Amino acid sequence: MSNYFYVSPEQLTKDRAEFAQKGIARGRSLVAALYDVGVLLVAENPSASLNKISEIYDRIAFAGVGKYNEFDRLREAGIRWADGTGFTYSREDVDARALANYYAQHLGDMFTEGQKPLEVEILVAQLGNKIRPTKLYRVAYEGTISDESRFAVLGGDAETIRGRFAATEEVIHPLRETLKNAVDALAGPERTIATSELEVGILEDRGSRRTFMRLSDDQVSELLR
Amino acid sequence: MGLPLYDAHSDPGPSFFQYAQSAGLNPSVTTNGSSAHATTVIAVRYDQGVVMVGDRQATGNYIASRDVRKIEPADRFTAIAISGTAARGIEFIRMAQLSFEHYEKMTDSALSLEGKANYLSPIVQRNNLSSPLIVLPLLAGWDPSHQVGRIFEYDGAGGCYERFDFATIGSGTPFAESALRLGFRTDLDREGALELGALALYEAGDNDPSTGGPDFVRNIYPMIVTITSEGFQELEQDDVATRFRAINERRTQSGGVAGGTLR
Repeated sequence: MSNYFYVSPEQLTKDRAEFAQKGIARGRSLVAALYDVGVLLVAENPSASLNKISEIYDRIAFAGVGKYNEFDRLREAGIRWADGTGFTYSREDVDARALANYYAQHLGDMFTEGQKPLEVEILVAQLGNKIRPTKLYRVAYEGTISDESRFAVLGGDAETIRGRFAATEEVIHPLRETLKNAVDALAGPERTIATSELEVGILEDRGSRRTFMRLSDDQVSELLR
Repeated sequence: MGLPLYDAHSDPGPSFFQYAQSAGLNPSVTTNGSSAHATTVIAVRYDQGVVMVGDRQATGNYIASRDVRKIEPADRFTAIAISGTAARGIEFIRMAQLSFEHYEKMTDSALSLEGKANYLSPIVQRNNLSSPLIVLPLLAGWDPSHQVGRIFEYDGAGGCYERFDFATIGSGTPFAESALRLGFRTDLDREGALELGALALYEAGDNDPSTGGPDFVRNIYPMIVTITSEGFQELEQDDVATRFRAINERRTQSGGVAGGTLR
């Protein structure tokens, strides 16, 4: 029989939170923001193939920061959940809020019951239509879920970046200005980020069912010019 | 449905079919379904891609519907046509459409045309295991990596065969194939392929009671689509009507017989 030392729930939660925060802080950050006709997702990502941003469904996008293998597994589960739900019911029944809640439950469970908490933060973005609002659902490592109406920042230096982006005027700009503000906020005053190190995706109505699109380096450079 | 998380050993990968099976999303296959293949769909290869022509009639013991769509885009560069039981056929098309998109989202790259063709094999096999030939598909698409149009047909056991000239499915096959065998040339252009496809369908509609030919009374005509480097495109109804009127007038003039030529 082994002896367990008593650890207070406060101490346990604090230790686990510190562990998760440290893991997330090692990675680079990500900004999601609404623009006049869509949703923009910008991540600082030196890899061109290991994506942080992905399409989930017709009007839903995913973004994750932290440990790649952990958030990519959540991304895959999200695509399966969305496609499975749309197949069982109808395409219009696939709701980002429901998916964000599942992510929150899973992250919360892992935080309290798992071997170790997941070192990730997740964003589920939804482009609105007649029946649903445009929303950014941010899910933190311990399962806290928040819905943001204008922008959200995930990752290491989130507080500083949030402060920089919040300092821009509180209006919804067109894509060009929004992208510029997001990249400026990510980079900060002393740094510039090369276009090749940016991963950019948008949700925008372009006359077809699927609204997600990746922007190429050329498109990003053109917009930032 | 909860969050479908898998560990590395049981992960179904980017295949929606595999996932649907592990999650129990697939309806079970019934054995008492009717296996009438009351249909004609034709695919003809030409220099710029593939032309597909399909009739619009759903037949049971009587005509159940006159405006069924038997050809659907599976994605931008691929078309799927079905013959057989309507319920299974519709499910088959949904499964294919969703699977190709699912793969693309999971892996951030599109499945190759050959990959799509092979992917459908076990689904055909599963559909037809308990009751032979419940649904048979026909897959045609533009292959972006080889810059050609390609056609794949299936047998009831799930075998997938590439056809380099033309293929047909459904009960009107013998009549459509006869016209295609006589009229096919390796140097067909778009206009030639459209003309031959329409003529072959007209023949099937003329001879096969379960294939709906052009319906001049209700203004319902067979579907004609092309799949090229531009993607899946459906011909306008007026365009299709003009083509079938022309064939019909020629036949009327010659008293109902083709008169020794393909016309």
